[in-house]
Amino acid sequence: MLIGTADVRDLVPAPPTLEAFATEPVPLPGAAVLQIISEIRVSGREASLPPGLHPTNPPSVVFQFWDCPESPWGPFRLAQGRVACRSGLRPRGFVQGCVTESAAAAEALRSQWGFPATIGDVVVDRGYDRVRAEVAIGGRTVLAFTGRDPDPLGNGDIAFTATVALANTPRGLRLVQIDCDYAAHRAERVRPVIDAFEPGAWLPASIALTWPISAAVAIADITLEPHRYVSKPDELAFTGTETL
Amino acid sequence: MKFGIFFEMSTPRPFTTEVQSAVFHNALEQARLADELGFDCVWCVEHHFLEEYSHSSAPEVVLAAVAAQTERIRIGHGAVVCVPEMNHPIRVAERCAVLDIVSRGRLEVGTARSSTWTELGGFNVDPDRTKKTWDEFVRVLPKMWTQEHFSYDGLSFSMPERNVLPKPVQQPHPPMWVTVTSPGTELDAAERGLGCLGVAAAGYAEQERRTKEYYRRIESCDPVGAVVTSAVSTLNFLYCHEDPKVAARTGMGMVGTFGLANSHLMWTREAYPTRAYQSLGNLAPKVDRGKSGGPGDAYGIPEGICVGDPDIIVAALKRWESLGLTGINFLLNGLEVVPQEQVLASMRLFAKEVMPQFREPGKAGA
Repeated sequence: MLIGTADVRDLVPAPPTLEAFATEPVPLPGAAVLQIISEIRVSGREASLPPGLHPTNPPSVVFQFWDCPESPWGPFRLAQGRVACRSGLRPRGFVQGCVTESAAAAEALRSQWGFPATIGDVVVDRGYDRVRAEVAIGGRTVLAFTGRDPDPLGNGDIAFTATVALANTPRGLRLVQIDCDYAAHRAERVRPVIDAFEPGAWLPASIALTWPISAAVAIADITLEPHRYVSKPDELAFTGTETL
Repeated sequence: MKFGIFFEMSTPRPFTTEVQSAVFHNALEQARLADELGFDCVWCVEHHFLEEYSHSSAPEVVLAAVAAQTERIRIGHGAVVCVPEMNHPIRVAERCAVLDIVSRGRLEVGTARSSTWTELGGFNVDPDRTKKTWDEFVRVLPKMWTQEHFSYDGLSFSMPERNVLPKPVQQPHPPMWVTVTSPGTELDAAERGLGCLGVAAAGYAEQERRTKEYYRRIESCDPVGAVVTSAVSTLNFLYCHEDPKVAARTGMGMVGTFGLANSHLMWTREAYPTRAYQSLGNLAPKVDRGKSGGPGDAYGIPEGICVGDPDIIVAALKRWESLGLTGINFLLNGLEVVPQEQVLASMRLFAKEVMPQFREPGKAGA
C-alpha cells in the first residue's frame, strides 16, 4: 500500500467548517502534553487514510493530550486520536477524533483550526511516579491510559509531528495542515499501559491497538501556528497541495 | 574514486513469488555485470520488515551467491545490524570470516544499529541500547577474527574463552565500516578508525563539512581493529543514458518511487522518544518543529544525483570527488520501476563513458 485507499466520504462523518484560514498564532503557554503511540492493525490504517495521504509501516496511532491552563478560550483539556501517515514525504498525523470538555475550545478549534472536536470528559493527571489520562464520551470511557515510571528526557527528545484534519474550507473539502510549535521545558518518557480503549465513539471502529510503543509527557508552551497548507484529500500531496 | 553498487532489494507489490524472485535474480545479474565492467564493490544491506522499501533480510546469503558468481569485485556485507536481538556477535564474526573465505578475501564489513522503529520494534529491541551494543560489537569483532583464545564479559553478551572459527582470509582482518545516517556518526567512525559508509542523502556543503571533520578526527583515532580504514563513501542513484531527457524521466521516476517507499518507514525518533536517536533518518530533519516544509515540496531529490547523460554524471562525480570522497555506491533501481535491460544498459554506458574519467590509465577498479 503506497497510497491511502479509504473513501473520503467515509472518513469524518461531519467535517468541521472553517470560515477562514487562521492567520495569527495562538499561544497556549504552560501546557502539559502527553503523547502516546501504539501500533494498530493494518485494517485500521487501510480504513483511515484517503488517497491524499500515505501509510506508515508499521501502522500506528498517536494519542495526544493537552492540558492547557491558559488560552483565549479559557483553560481546557483536549485529547486527539491521530493515525500516523505521510503527506507527500512529510510525517503527519491524520486526526480522526478529538475530544474536549470545553465548549468554547471545541467551537474555536473546530471553526478556526479544523480539529474535529466534540464534547466529552478529558483527564490528565500527572504525578512523580505515574501519569494517568482518560477520555470519556457520554459518561463512557473510550480511552484510559497509565504511564509508569517517568524517566527524564532532553527537552527536544520528543518528536511532535504536524496534524492534518479533514475540513470544509473556503477552498472546498481539504486536508488542512495544523502546525503546532512545542517549546518543551521538561520532558519525561513513561512506560505505556493502555487500560481501556473503545474506538467506535470517537475514532474509526476498525482501529485496534496491537502493541504500545511509547509515551512521553512534557510541559510545553504550545503555539497554534497560522495555516500554511491545505491539500486535496483524493489527490497526491505532490500535486494536490495548495499554499495559503 | 571507487564505484560500488548497493542492493536494497526493494520490491513492488504484489509480493508474489515471481516478483520477489525477479528482484533477487536481477540483482545477481547486476552484480555479475558490475564485476565484468570494473565496478569495485557490491554492497548488500540488512533490513527487516521494510515492506516494498527493502526485502534484504539475509544479505549474507545473497553475498555468498555474489561471491560464487564473480571473480574480482569486492563483497560489501553492509551493514550488519549490531544489536544482539538480530545478530549475535559471535555469529557475525563467523559469517564474515566464511564470506571472506568463499570470496577469496574480498569482504568489506559494514556495521550499523538500525534507524527504524519498524525494525527495532519487530525484534523488541530497546532503542536506548543500540549505540552501546554497536560499540561493543565493533570492538569485539576484530578480536574474534584475530585472537586464537577470546573471552568476553560485556554489556550485551559474555562468553568464556573460545576460538571463534574460521578466521578470515584478509590479514589482519577485513576492512570495517560504519553506515552513517545521522549527522555525527561519521565522527564515531573516525574515532574508531572505521570507514564512513554514507547511506543518507547529504548535500555538497554538508558532505564537505562531514568529510573534512572525519579526516581530521581519524588522524588521531583509537582504532578498534588491527587496521584503520580511512575512507568516505556516499550513496547515490545511478541512471545513465545518452539522452539526458530520457535519463531524467526514467531516473527521477526511480528516485521518486524509492523515496516514497523510504518515507513510509517509521523512524525510531518519530515513535520512541530517546536521546539515542536524534535524527529522523531520511525524513525532514526539522520535522518536530512547526516550521517544517510543505507536503507538496519537491524535497527528497538529493543534490548531486547521478542521473543524466555521461557528461552530467561526470560533472556530479567530479564535484563529489573534490570534496574528498573516496567512493560512491549506487542504487540502480527502486521497486523495479526501471526494466532490467535498461539498468544493465545504464551500467554499461557508465562503465564505458564515465568510469574511465576516474581511473588512472591502464588501471581497472581496485
